[in-house]
Amino acid sequence: MKIIRTEKLSKIYNHQSLPVKALNQVNLEFETGEFTAIVGPSGSGKTTFLNMIGGLDKPTEGQIFIGDTEITSLSDSKLIDFRLHNIGFVFQSYNLLPVLTAKENVSFIMLLQKTNPKEMDARAVELLKQVGLEDKMDVRPSKLSGGQQQRVAVARALASKPRFILADEPTANLDTQSAFNLLDIMLRLNKEENITLIFSTHDQRVIDRARRVITLVDGAVDSDEQFER
Amino acid sequence: MKVLLKISWLNVWRNTRRSLVMIVAVSIGLWGGIFVSALSSGMMLQRFDLSVKQHISHIQVQNPEFLKDRHIKYGIADWDALKKALQADPVIAGFSGRTLAGGMLATANMSVGISIIGIDAANEASTTGLDDNILEGNYILDEGRNPVLIGKKLADKIKLQPGSRLVLTFQNIEGELVSASFRVAGIYQTSNGIYDESHVYVRQSDLEPYVGEGSTINQVAIVATDIEQVQALGDRLVKQFPEYSIRTWDDISPELAYLQEMAGMMLMIVLVIILFALSFGLVNTMLMSVFERTRELGMLMAVGMNRKKVFAMIMIETIFLTLMGAFGGMLLGFVSIQLFSKTGIDMAAVGGDSLNDFGFPSVVYPQLELSFFFFLMVLVIVTAVLTSIYPALKALRLKPAEAVRKE
Ligand SMILES: Nc1ncnc2c1ncn2[C@@H]1O[C@H](COP(=O)(O)OP(=O)(O)OP(=O)(O)O)[C@@H](O)[C@H]1O
Ligand SMILES: [Mg+2]
Repeated sequence: MKIIRTEKLSKIYNHQSLPVKALNQVNLEFETGEFTAIVGPSGSGKTTFLNMIGGLDKPTEGQIFIGDTEITSLSDSKLIDFRLHNIGFVFQSYNLLPVLTAKENVSFIMLLQKTNPKEMDARAVELLKQVGLEDKMDVRPSKLSGGQQQRVAVARALASKPRFILADEPTANLDTQSAFNLLDIMLRLNKEENITLIFSTHDQRVIDRARRVITLVDGAVDSDEQFER
Repeated sequence: MKVLLKISWLNVWRNTRRSLVMIVAVSIGLWGGIFVSALSSGMMLQRFDLSVKQHISHIQVQNPEFLKDRHIKYGIADWDALKKALQADPVIAGFSGRTLAGGMLATANMSVGISIIGIDAANEASTTGLDDNILEGNYILDEGRNPVLIGKKLADKIKLQPGSRLVLTFQNIEGELVSASFRVAGIYQTSNGIYDESHVYVRQSDLEPYVGEGSTINQVAIVATDIEQVQALGDRLVKQFPEYSIRTWDDISPELAYLQEMAGMMLMIVLVIILFALSFGLVNTMLMSVFERTRELGMLMAVGMNRKKVFAMIMIETIFLTLMGAFGGMLLGFVSIQLFSKTGIDMAAVGGDSLNDFGFPSVVYPQLELSFFFFLMVLVIVTAVLTSIYPALKALRLKPAEAVRKE
């Protein structure tokens, strides 16, 4: 099933002063269950593209459909609500609230969704188990390693039952072992639970595992390849 | 939302030192404001009590003509009838009929203008407690011929002491000047130095021969058992004796009530200024906290925390900070008022003597009404809410895409 479709998506930063064309007429489609890497040199527009389809920023031109919703026409407050219920995010860093424990961080997103408390708690525990952090439930982020923090972020992204998860260089700050660990978890979730994952990366080992690799150059799609893995 | 309260509370303590500094600043600022208010309010109340007790009394009865022209001949027409009525009234604690004459006091080297008050020594004592205010010498109750009480301030100025002789000159009923020799029996002091410098007390019975034709009572001072009774008592007397001028304390000395209101207003202004100053510190602290958390706030908005909640979170943090400071300040204020309300604070060291000239006591017992604390609480909450708006708005203006991107 098609979940994301962009049409002639363009983004120009600093429209007035010194225009930077970050995205140039990008047409892409994504299906449920994809495990897709967006790659390309620094400044090629990966983050910009993820921010667009994640509804964090608005394009200068073009349209974005998520399911049947054209999100560029949504108001800011509608967009926040849309993100809450449809999209999971894993950022490169600063994913978690430092004052809350791992479990509370995962529950928090469900609280925002007004999930009933009982279900919420059970789900937070279950998700943390899935990312291998059953013994770190009540630990605050500052006491977790970078890799563990990213795994909490993945659990948090899953907690809201989103249609897909966007991750902007999720392994960039991690050592090799932690990066593989996180990657394994994401792959397993993708295979076993059919979770849709779209992430940007520079890491060749990560790219090697993706089933679809989209390469951006200067804000345009340079190649879009599928792999059987 | 309970979680929001919890997160806000925890956020306040992320930078413990910064929050504590702010809380202590608010505490000390408010403490200062509260204590100064309590001092000044205590001073006002004491001044009020003393003014009423020692000088004005609750009600004064006079011949209306006397108010226009302070001539000794304008007296209470039927003193006996009034006296009887006053004695019969159960809410009257004491009253004193006085003969008032303007005149001169002369010693061998000096003469000064003064008011002479002729009293029934026993009645005056039970009405204003004049006998309690004697510093040196004796009250004039059982003295020999022509004793006079002079104020401490006057005694110091013209160097008189008990036993000194002096001459009082004043008008009699016919308007002629008469002089008589008096002997200082005692020296009194009230809370009002200016009064003490310009008033002397003699016995009515000693004045009579000089004033002429029977006794003249120019003024009757009445003290009720309870200040709450004064208005009703005044109304009753007005009905009973329409021919006299009958005034209650607030008619006689409207500035007393006015002064109290004014003081209350001033204190509120002082507190508003203190809170205003503190709010700058609070805004600054919260802005720092918001800027430090740009990425985190961006992340929260990115994952779906709506503007209302982000706004509320920052607002609650500001309110927590303010309220903790306010609570500290009120606690300090309350404790210090309790402490000093028993012992009092001697203001003589910081110019209490000149305070005394204006009818203020030199030992001040700080006190504050509970309503003041409630009002202050409202003021603090309003400040907290107003203060929180700007940092909270700043937080809202963050664009999630830029906030999470920021290196
Ligand atoms: N807020 C902004 N204002 C102006 N220019 C911007 C802004 N954000 C990004 N750009 C520019 O847009 C272009 C694309 O940036 P983007 O961050 O999307 O690239 P990227 O592929 O994610 O790079 P990297 O691999 O370094 O993360 C770059 O030239 C960048 O300098
Ligand atoms: Mg990027």
